[in-house]
Amino acid sequence: MIANAYELIVYILTLFRVYEPLLNVFQALGAEYVLRIIIVLVEIAVLFVFVLLTVMFLTWMERKVVAMVQSRYGPMVTGPRGLLQPVMDGVKLIGKEDIIPAKADRWIFTLAPFIVFIPALLVFIPLPFGESLIISDLRVGLLYIIAISAISPIAILLAGWASNNKYSLMGAMRAVAQDISYTIPLALAAIAVVLLTGSLSMVDIVNAQGGAWFGVIPQWFIFIQPLGFILFLIASIAEMGRIPFDFQESESELVAGFFTEYSGMKFAMFFLAEYAHLFAVSGIVVTLFLGGWTGPVLPFIPVQITSLVYFLIKTYAVIFFAMWLRDTVPRVRIDQLLNLGWKIMVPLALLNLLVTGFLVTAGVMV
Amino acid sequence: MAWISKNWAMSGIIAGLIVTLKHVLHIGNRPTVTVQYPYERMKVSPRFRGLHAVDENACIGCGICEINCPNSTIQIVKYNTKWYPQVNIGMCLFCGLCVDVCPMNAMKMTGNYELADYTRESLVYGPDRLLFNKEVKQ
Repeated sequence: MIANAYELIVYILTLFRVYEPLLNVFQALGAEYVLRIIIVLVEIAVLFVFVLLTVMFLTWMERKVVAMVQSRYGPMVTGPRGLLQPVMDGVKLIGKEDIIPAKADRWIFTLAPFIVFIPALLVFIPLPFGESLIISDLRVGLLYIIAISAISPIAILLAGWASNNKYSLMGAMRAVAQDISYTIPLALAAIAVVLLTGSLSMVDIVNAQGGAWFGVIPQWFIFIQPLGFILFLIASIAEMGRIPFDFQESESELVAGFFTEYSGMKFAMFFLAEYAHLFAVSGIVVTLFLGGWTGPVLPFIPVQITSLVYFLIKTYAVIFFAMWLRDTVPRVRIDQLLNLGWKIMVPLALLNLLVTGFLVTAGVMV
Repeated sequence: MAWISKNWAMSGIIAGLIVTLKHVLHIGNRPTVTVQYPYERMKVSPRFRGLHAVDENACIGCGICEINCPNSTIQIVKYNTKWYPQVNIGMCLFCGLCVDVCPMNAMKMTGNYELADYTRESLVYGPDRLLFNKEVKQ
């Protein structure tokens, strides 16, 4: 049983009879830890490249989905079906002038995009992309994810404050209010899942959904926790700040919200963080409620590959739903947003938690 | 709370989602309507008023089009021993009066609408670029 990506790399190296000689070389130098560090860096590099490629693909996919909904083609010229459009966008953004407003707080203004971007990548560390495709199976994985994604409102507030612009500050204030109101139902809906599994580890949560009722219906938590799933999905879309709840950047009211003053690569980092967050949140929804990487086992194909494919299919389905919702519904008002968050979602999440806890204690659901 | 108790099933959102999904999947009469312009062109209608064309044999060089042109776009110039109109597209408003008044029906307007150019001089279309030979059917 290979527990995580580190052991997977060691296994693959052993399979090609490379690991032993490498280990001997490093042991002869008395620096075995260097090899460990190199392997960890390789994993992180692979994750980083994978996430960035996914993010680029998602920007393309978003434009394509909007275009399909609006009876258009979307990007078509750059590359086949416009697939290279994100590359061109990146080149354009690198070529743009990096403007810092004269009255901005330069240090915080420069720091804020990084504080947004780094947690968006850190969220992926305890996320299982497939059987044994996980950087680190933290025993507090879910808590870690919720805690890490709670950093982003701080960075958004820093960005809005440092820009010294009324629209930026208003956008940042709204974003923070929204993030705080929706993290609570998000966490409560996730805790109901934790009650069912008895573990915060993402791998344990996925393994708990591995079976099937009557051999047909998969034991996904969406069937046990339908209310929890809906609450988690709405709360995570609100936390991402996508369209039905995009107060942080409502174009028609605030110019672009907290990144009004940003340009060039700093803007690109906010943009990348947004789509990395979309991918991460969809992955978390899949892991918690849609069975993660579980699926029918195929013969002759390594389970790592099939599970990765199942995970990506489910994740892209959730991402498509988020994009589809974005193209369909208009923005709600800020008071409606806070009403929905505090008056409806929090009580419903508490109710869901209460019922789940009752049923788990009574031994009906395990 | 009132608005959510009425819409607890979110039927409005679901109806909207179904409509947009129909557009994505092209269900019903919902085709992709964009024309990829430089690679494919829309069909212009037969009465489209684009660049002028003058029948080389029919034109008698009478100058009625020149008189009737509201922007004084047309000048009659000599070309190959006969007189023909010369049109300055930069001033033309594509009203089609020259076509209407031509006594010999020699003037017509084609569907050519890609008339952007780099200099003002090249916008003046002389008889060498306007004339065409009608295939005479006896």
